[in-house]
Amino acid sequence: MTAARYLGPAKGIAFFAILASLPSFNIAHWVLNIAVFTLMYAVMSSSWNLVGGFAGYPSLGHAAFFGIGAYGTALWFQHHAITSGYEPFELLPLIGILAALLGLPVAMIAMRTRSDVFAIVTITLLFVTQTLAFNLRSLTHGAQGLSIAVAPFSARTYERPFYYVLLLLLALAMGISLGAMRSKLGLSLAAVRADEDKARGIGVRTFGVKLLSFSISVGLTAMVGGIWAYYEGFIYPQFAIDPLVTIAIVLMTFLGGRATLWGPVLGAFILETAQQTLAYSLGGSQFYLIAYAMVFLLVMLLMPRGIVPSIQAGLRRRRRKAAVDAAGSQGNAADTKDRGVRSTLSTVKGSA
Amino acid sequence: MAALLEVEGLIKSFGSVRAVNQASFTVQHNSITALIGPNGSGKTTLFNLITGYLPPDQGRVRFAGRDITGVDAGRLYRRGLSRTFQQARVFPQLTVQENLTVAAGYSWGQLFGRRMSKADRQRVGQLLEEFRMAHVADLFASELSYGQRKLLEFAAVLMSSPSLILLDEPTAGVNPVMIETMEHHIRDRYAAGITFLIVEHDMNFVMRLCDPVIVLDQGREIFAGTPSDVQSNPLVLDAYLGG
Amino acid sequence: MHALIQGIILGVLTAGVYALMASGQTLIFGIMKVVNLAQGAMVILGAYLSYQLFTSFGIDPLLSIPLTTIAMFVLGVAVEVLFLRPLRREDRSELSLLVTFAVALLLEGIMSVTWKTTVRSTNTGYANSSWTVFGYQITLVRLWAFLLSIAALGVLYLLLNRTRFGRAIRATVQNPESARLLGVEASRVSALGFGLGAATAAAAGSVYGLLYPFNSGSHYDLISRLLSIVLLGGLGSIGGAVVGALVVSTSSAIVASAISPSWSEMTFFVILLLVLLIRPQGLFGTTARGAI
Repeated sequence: MTAARYLGPAKGIAFFAILASLPSFNIAHWVLNIAVFTLMYAVMSSSWNLVGGFAGYPSLGHAAFFGIGAYGTALWFQHHAITSGYEPFELLPLIGILAALLGLPVAMIAMRTRSDVFAIVTITLLFVTQTLAFNLRSLTHGAQGLSIAVAPFSARTYERPFYYVLLLLLALAMGISLGAMRSKLGLSLAAVRADEDKARGIGVRTFGVKLLSFSISVGLTAMVGGIWAYYEGFIYPQFAIDPLVTIAIVLMTFLGGRATLWGPVLGAFILETAQQTLAYSLGGSQFYLIAYAMVFLLVMLLMPRGIVPSIQAGLRRRRRKAAVDAAGSQGNAADTKDRGVRSTLSTVKGSA
Repeated sequence: MAALLEVEGLIKSFGSVRAVNQASFTVQHNSITALIGPNGSGKTTLFNLITGYLPPDQGRVRFAGRDITGVDAGRLYRRGLSRTFQQARVFPQLTVQENLTVAAGYSWGQLFGRRMSKADRQRVGQLLEEFRMAHVADLFASELSYGQRKLLEFAAVLMSSPSLILLDEPTAGVNPVMIETMEHHIRDRYAAGITFLIVEHDMNFVMRLCDPVIVLDQGREIFAGTPSDVQSNPLVLDAYLGG
Repeated sequence: MHALIQGIILGVLTAGVYALMASGQTLIFGIMKVVNLAQGAMVILGAYLSYQLFTSFGIDPLLSIPLTTIAMFVLGVAVEVLFLRPLRREDRSELSLLVTFAVALLLEGIMSVTWKTTVRSTNTGYANSSWTVFGYQITLVRLWAFLLSIAALGVLYLLLNRTRFGRAIRATVQNPESARLLGVEASRVSALGFGLGAATAAAAGSVYGLLYPFNSGSHYDLISRLLSIVLLGGLGSIGGAVVGALVVSTSSAIVASAISPSWSEMTFFVILLLVLLIRPQGLFGTTARGAI
């Protein structure tokens, strides 16, 4: 029991220690580049999980907030010079807060009713934001895109600042997730996800917790968008606000396991590396799209609960079986089991 | 002293069907009032109207002297008006303990406190002890039998220290042993000062436990009285047999 | 004023094709409670099919509609049976969104492999002729498209109201529980209903190809419009879908002519948000929340 209590923190510390030491192994630029993208997706799926996993409201519009963060950063540095190279990172909290505030009215309208209405409104928001990015030419330069000054980092260690900032952001996103899971906020969200009407009726602050989780979630996503814009150096509407980004985030969370701490991260690590490899080997984006859609369909059909929950359920079954066996040998589990069977029988009779 | 719950001329229509039609009745402090009536007489709709799950088209509801017509269900719950559902609604992927904790009606500040604090554990522990469910405390609600889920739902609404509990068919679909258990817990809580309004089809249960009995037919009250009065009243027989 | 009326005429004429697409989508929702995010991709696939029949065999899109609708009906049934039926009941509404999104991507990928990503359009002989009535221009192709959409909607109406299958569908939409008790087999109705939705998309696609240039990525533009229309009208209501299409396409045509075409895309989103604020269940929807 005591060993189990330290297992969680140990796992977390080991995970972040390994990731933090990774760049010092002098690995190739292209590997570190993949690592940067993997971290971006890990942060975003962890954030998506706050609302799509814990609250059970599947947002299809997160890419819009990613784009808002990207454009926010790019626009700011149209008018401000980059000197040390770290200013864009210092701007991130502001970007996050603004996006979170922007998310509030969206959530207020879209989360009033059912989760399918929510999905529809958020996906519509995604396309409208993309249209805006194309059309507000005076601001976004439309299809021409915006460029940001290249970061004045040494070419040898160019990826490192981005990598570390993203790692910090991942720690933040996972910290928030963990905090939610361990607090009554997470308990409330779980109730909302299971049966929202009932939850509302027993005094759970359903509306409030939904709004809170949505706005934190989109705030974090926008911060990743900001880092992405700076990392890429130029942004175009079709890449800054891309439905495929939404789909990738959702797929990663589902693959790893919704409403878990490690699931979204695991999903991102598996899929983003696979995706980059696929993109290299298949080249042409059309086959890539087909392969991606097929993977998606297979995950949904074969493993709708995701990797982490499947493992957890397996462990739980084993633990329970062990507990029942142990109790059975002492002779007092028979009573419990018998009572269970009896009331199950009566249920069958009652409903017949 | 005014009645704990006063229902006055409630009307609710769904399309062209009037589910509740001018229903008026009162529930006295510390009573176990039964609400009976043939299928489709509007009992569950009435529950939904009283507890804020549905807004009434017309009419008033007063609880503890305050007008609560159209007030949100969650707010009413925190004020001490609780209910259970016909189909035991618990949260299947939360444990039994968590199902109780989440029903405590906590404030905004507590939202950021621990998922299960020491105080929660203690309170939940006592309740589970009382309901003899301590041995299933860590099971998921989905792992319970139907009868146990009904018991859990009942136990959960006690977490808010309610003054009035509306039970929607507490014995439907559960075995005789569980019916006795349920009756025992209702009596216990009644003795502790809680008022009950119970919709029930099991007449033996109603006759044993409830007084007064209100009879509903076609969305309105047709009779109210003691159990023995109800049994001998021709209007009631008409409603049940005449359909 | 002239521009305004011209805008309204244009909007009403284009509303037909959107009403057709949206009615398929709202039908699928009504039957299965599934928001089909692949509806736009199915429309584009329908457009490609009739484009191919036209360029390879010279079959006019108006004549190829029976062929494409039957093909897409089969595809729709296959999608339902393969991808939607296996989903577990408890998280079906959530997963079906993502599954249909994946189907949309799959179709997009297949289309871009088959037809490349260059923009196509079905150029018939009558594509450019137009009339001028009281000073307002009406292109022949738009009028055709409108009449064709109305005809297809009429066929859909007859199917739903005059056939046994249609009655089973309507019973399921109104009350799944009692439909089941009356012996309507839910899984069969779902498969056929999804097929019917896909067939509607095919018909709409043939018409769409006449009106607009398209490529495999066009479904993104369609889906957000379609979803707005469907939400506006109220999920599951075909009459609502028709009204929603009228509102969306006339208002965006007016904005396009009065302000700028680039803002017309925004119009429907603003209308959608307003409607959701005032009437969350849409104009003709019945329930805002699930049953208690």
